[in-house]
Amino acid sequence: MYLRDPIAVPADSVSRRRYLRERVAREEAEALLEGKSRELYDANQRLQGLLSTMEQAVHERTQELVESRVAAESANEAKSVFLASMSHEIRTPLNGILGMAQALDDSGLSDEQAKLVTILGDSGRLLLAIINDVLDISKIEAGKLEFEIIPYQLTELLDGMRHHYQFRAREKGLEFHTELTPAARCLVKTDPVRLQQVVGNLLSNAIKFTEVGSVTLSVDVIPHRSGKSVLSIKVKDTGPGIPKAQQFRLFERFSQANASVTRVHGGTGLGLAISRHICELMEGEISLRSVPGEGAEFHAKVMVEETKGKVAQCNGRSTTDAGRSLSNLRVLAAEDNRTNQVVLKHMLKKVGLTLDIVDNGEKAVQAWQKTRYDMVLMDINMPVMDGIEATRRIRELESRNMQEPTPILAVSANAMVHQVAGYLSKGMSGHVAKPISRESLVEAMATALRAEGRWPE
Amino acid sequence: MKGIIFVELIRMAESVMGEEAVDDILEKVNLENDGAFSAVGNYPCRELLQIVDAVGAELGAPVEALHKQFGHWMFGRFVEGYPTFFEGKTDGFDMLESIENEVHVEVRKLYPEVELPTFATEWLAGGQFKMIYASERPLQHFCHGLVEACLLHFKQDVSIEMTERKDGGSFYAEFLMQTAA
Repeated sequence: MYLRDPIAVPADSVSRRRYLRERVAREEAEALLEGKSRELYDANQRLQGLLSTMEQAVHERTQELVESRVAAESANEAKSVFLASMSHEIRTPLNGILGMAQALDDSGLSDEQAKLVTILGDSGRLLLAIINDVLDISKIEAGKLEFEIIPYQLTELLDGMRHHYQFRAREKGLEFHTELTPAARCLVKTDPVRLQQVVGNLLSNAIKFTEVGSVTLSVDVIPHRSGKSVLSIKVKDTGPGIPKAQQFRLFERFSQANASVTRVHGGTGLGLAISRHICELMEGEISLRSVPGEGAEFHAKVMVEETKGKVAQCNGRSTTDAGRSLSNLRVLAAEDNRTNQVVLKHMLKKVGLTLDIVDNGEKAVQAWQKTRYDMVLMDINMPVMDGIEATRRIRELESRNMQEPTPILAVSANAMVHQVAGYLSKGMSGHVAKPISRESLVEAMATALRAEGRWPE
Repeated sequence: MKGIIFVELIRMAESVMGEEAVDDILEKVNLENDGAFSAVGNYPCRELLQIVDAVGAELGAPVEALHKQFGHWMFGRFVEGYPTFFEGKTDGFDMLESIENEVHVEVRKLYPEVELPTFATEWLAGGQFKMIYASERPLQHFCHGLVEACLLHFKQDVSIEMTERKDGGSFYAEFLMQTAA
């Protein structure tokens, strides 16, 4: 150690030079601290400024976001309203076209004329199918595709498909087979309408693209580890098949395997896209296996719940039977649209029932009070008083007078699931969507009468 | 160079030589501010070296040894003044390793303008630890003192081998440390 031990604490007095040196050092430190304080203050001011600018910016940005959210929501709302009104507006004239075609067909035409009317009817139904596709894809995009899950017998699915497609296949000289495994002979909870839409789309494509051979529909139900079951639907054809490179595009919107398909076969190119979305929304998927030259097999899978118990089964009576049984009824129709009035009149003429028509809800209530009707067909959107209000009044009068409820069928172009549910909750007995066909109208009338216990046995 | 180093150097000198002797030295050495150093001020490193030289001449002691002695003193002041830097450190190597990424980070927050030396550290096989001091200032012996004091603080029996090197205007010193078997 080169330094000596610490020396004793020095005396109280301090030399002048030491005092001056310490003072200079202190003053320097004070000046430095003052400068630092100033810097800190300035930096703090800048931060405060930044903070308020930032708060302002955040506020403005939040405001902008709120505005654009509101704008987006109202645009979406407008789109939904537009969809609903387009659905209604297009269905009403179509109802006229299809109804009149049927009325013409019933009016005793020559063979030549009957052929023309058939084309007219087919074209109308095709137009309806296209409109339904466009509406469906819009609903899917808006996240508004609705499902109505009810118990459904899968044999009904096969019967329905055979009924619709067997004839079309045979017309083209194709064999049409259906296979239902024993496991699939059961009652499942699903949306039958959407299911039929998917299967119908696959079958109609298969028939459309197959020139020789057969189209086969196979249905199976396989238990799933989730406790639910997988409903497996395969549609196999012996058509030309689809090249690998084109397969992935098939399920896209507005897209067909290639542009020439549109020229040769027509179609919107929406069917498979809609089917894919429906399957996905039903927790399933749709896939395709195809080798060019060896046909194609589309495989749709959806989740269903197996259920026990009975469904309200159709008792097997055909429409003609139902129609015959309706012949003695007295029916009131409230319908403001002239065309639709004519359609109703012609459709029910053959059935032979007595039909009175009024053009608004108020008149319907008055007519109902004067005459005892077996059934009321009620349009929803009418001037003076709408169908919902008219139904409410009739139900009120019935309960006041302790009368049996009259079956009231909503006949409306507002056919979305939630709308139909709304009608039923407001006292209506059933619903028929426009454009109506005689078959669906008569069936709905028979069902409503059965439900009210008025079915003439 | 931060004033705290000057203030501490003078305090150390006073503790062993007495105020009068220190005052005489400060008067003899040609200093810009006549030795009126404040801990928060900044002063040329050259003046620190001049003061140490003058103390060495006065005491007849080797300057390098004085620098090393000052390193020990300064380390004591760090332990006293900045205990948080020592929290959680397991040994001297751990502490030395934290200078670059912990201590200097904090120093720069308070004094953004400072020019700090670098202390590159490396763990070697066989319990060896290497630290390389690099600076514009020739304070490698002061650094040596700091390293020794640090290892003493953690009660480690370690041999230190120091190798100096000068490259252009920069000073380097490699400290190779070996824990005693």
